[in-house]
Amino acid sequence: MATIAQAPALRERFAAVLDPSRVIDHPLERRLYSRDGSIAEGDCGLVVLPETTAEVAACMRVARDLGVNVVPRGSGTGLCGGAVPLEGAVVVSVARMTRVLEVDPEVPCARVQPGVLNLDLSMAVRHLGLHYAPDPSSQQACSIGGNVATNAGGPHCLSSGVTAQHVLGMEIVLADGQVLRLGGTAPDPPGYDLRGFVVGGEGTLGVVTEVLVRLMRNPPEVRTMLLDFPTVRQAGEAVGAIIAGGVIPAAMEMMDRRMTVAVEAFVRADLPVEAAAVLLVEVDGTPAEVAAHTAVVEAVGARHGAGEVRVARDEAERALFWKARKSAFGAVARVAPNYYLHDCVVPRTRLVEVLERIEEIALARDLVVMNVFHAGDGNLHPLIAFDRRDPEQVERVHAAGKDIIEACVAVGGVLSGEHGIGLEKRDFMPLTFSAVDLAAQACARDAFDPEGRLNPAKVLPVGSRCGELVLDAGSLPPGTWL
Amino acid sequence: MSAVAGPATPAEAAAALAEASAARERVAVVGGGTRSRRGRPAPPADHELRTTGLRRVVAHEPADLTVTVEAGLLASELAELAAAAGQCWPQAEIRPGSTVGGVLAAAASGRRRLRFGAVRDSLLQVVLATGDGRLVTAGGRTVKGVSGYDIPRLAVGSLGTLGVIVEVTLKLWPIPPAQGWFGAEGPLAERLGVVARALGGPARPASVLLTPGAVAVELTGPPADVVAAEGLAPLDEEPPGPGGRGIVEAGVPPPRLGDLAGRLEDAGLGYEARMGVGTCLVAVASADDVRRVRAWAGELGGHATVADGPPELRADPWGPPPPGLELMRRLRDAFDPAGVLNPSMLLWEAA
Repeated sequence: MATIAQAPALRERFAAVLDPSRVIDHPLERRLYSRDGSIAEGDCGLVVLPETTAEVAACMRVARDLGVNVVPRGSGTGLCGGAVPLEGAVVVSVARMTRVLEVDPEVPCARVQPGVLNLDLSMAVRHLGLHYAPDPSSQQACSIGGNVATNAGGPHCLSSGVTAQHVLGMEIVLADGQVLRLGGTAPDPPGYDLRGFVVGGEGTLGVVTEVLVRLMRNPPEVRTMLLDFPTVRQAGEAVGAIIAGGVIPAAMEMMDRRMTVAVEAFVRADLPVEAAAVLLVEVDGTPAEVAAHTAVVEAVGARHGAGEVRVARDEAERALFWKARKSAFGAVARVAPNYYLHDCVVPRTRLVEVLERIEEIALARDLVVMNVFHAGDGNLHPLIAFDRRDPEQVERVHAAGKDIIEACVAVGGVLSGEHGIGLEKRDFMPLTFSAVDLAAQACARDAFDPEGRLNPAKVLPVGSRCGELVLDAGSLPPGTWL
Repeated sequence: MSAVAGPATPAEAAAALAEASAARERVAVVGGGTRSRRGRPAPPADHELRTTGLRRVVAHEPADLTVTVEAGLLASELAELAAAAGQCWPQAEIRPGSTVGGVLAAAASGRRRLRFGAVRDSLLQVVLATGDGRLVTAGGRTVKGVSGYDIPRLAVGSLGTLGVIVEVTLKLWPIPPAQGWFGAEGPLAERLGVVARALGGPARPASVLLTPGAVAVELTGPPADVVAAEGLAPLDEEPPGPGGRGIVEAGVPPPRLGDLAGRLEDAGLGYEARMGVGTCLVAVASADDVRRVRAWAGELGGHATVADGPPELRADPWGPPPPGLELMRRLRDAFDPAGVLNPSMLLWEAA
């Protein structure tokens, strides 16, 4: 293909600004970088592995001069194709930028390079009694830079918020190579909140080369509980009742029976595999807060038919409960070779009906759907297990995915809670946004990247343009000015 | 002489703006008018657009802790509505007469930011009537979501320069079961000791305020946690904010607030430092005071803006422009291409 022939020339230009060993054009390696954690596959023209901001900026200038497209990449664990390069784009991987530059326990905050892995950051500050709150299930592998790109979440974002609430500032290299420092520890700098806007930008606004993250003090007390329910409906209703009871737990996760069985076979945590649904609820805070919130959780559980409330006896058992939750996606490998994961959010009040609808959709398409998700904030993760070697099955998986998204949107839901839009959900954007809304988003994106060379064709459906949309005042209802 | 528009629906607001853009006439957007004394003084606008006719409660889902309202609704009315369901909007600084949209446009975070976060984190969805009269919806009504670019975050603090906030969906919180203020007085070093102990836990205070001569701590949570710590005594009421001809809002790295407080006390300026957050409201009397506070904040790694004051204090309300000014101008042009909305308010441009 054209891009393969093009690669040597590209390589030369980038090798002039980077150590040639960090400019990769071998076909096999480019093939590896043509994918991420999703089922999408693209076409990678070249991979560059800068180690400093100056190198990133130099790469961006080369790309600008050549007029080639650039796709920023963290660990490549994204689930919606956000890091998948298209049409021979150059992948700028920050995987070599892995230094924790500074920890300030007084704020508390940390300044890190974007390739630092999420869990490595929490481990690096653990001796200070601190942690980094967003904790995606992939936290052992995903990078802080990727977390910023997707506005990543995780179970513990229920009470403490997603990535946007934990990023105080950043250094970003724009498409033209310009380096900007946005935000900082001093709150509310004047002007628009560009820092907040860049979070969730999915690599279309710039390459983030440094992130200043807020750290949180470990809570004085934590209690982690497992509740098993005879029906999914009762579990879903218990979720609503806990929130309505004035308790926002630190985390509140649900697993259905299929998922519990798969996970139990994998981690052996003595999970209640007979239960139709399991809730994992964690409350934290002062001893009085933990006692009060535990009482609410236990009372709600009893009222909604929970068999038992199993409280983690110690840190080891707590870790086991969380291992069960976070290895759920890996455990699916025992059911089928591939899975397709959705990320819709629905109002908490509609949780039960949407879960029932998803089960119907799977049945109708003759597919197996498993659920493990952030119940507390209505963030569903229905996971369809399948075998991608069977094209007919793949077709049914996509059809079911579309049905699921439409069912979520129909009850007032949104396309994604924490994974992002990327490539896979891009064409569903018109379900929740009008053409005018999408054009406004395109305009905002163009402000950062007027040439549209940064991760093009992601987030917004093809055809979303920042066009001339000034309305004709003559056609408007008269008498507006009073 | 400016004409006044009081749209009754978001569509009317958009239509009014489209007309103004077509005629290239300037529009001053006013909510409750409680934070109008900020930004660089501008020549009178051709039109004033009042949002207080936009006051419908679109949806309140108590079990989901979300509410969707038109932005001209009084924030106090929203608070009442939420309170009836045992809920609150703890991130907002609500003044008598403030509208919901005004609080957001001014990014007015309240004293409880330490515990509950900044007001921008409470906004889930926004409908903006852009300068050229589009109605743009961004974000989503669910408590979590990353569907598309975060235009809601741009709108918060934009002071009506991108568009008029006409409808919002907010995330609410349960009203804490108990709440109380506790205080102490003493020399600065002692007060800073009280602050350090309050911030160090185990309870997470809602607010720790340092003021000249005093420190006040607000605790929320179960009744057992809302008790005076050693050296603190219960206060009968919430401490008053600083008063002066004008108010400068300084933002510095949180650990440097004590340094700033020391300089302010030496200079005899009234202030309220929100410890652990990094915000400090300073009572100022002159443009010279503004310059001094800004210089100190700058030395400590922060900034200072005039949050409230008569025109003579606002000749330079924002201080040096932040990085990314060019991006901000391009964003403004994308939402308000004719530049009719409060154009001199925010972006370091000539009036």
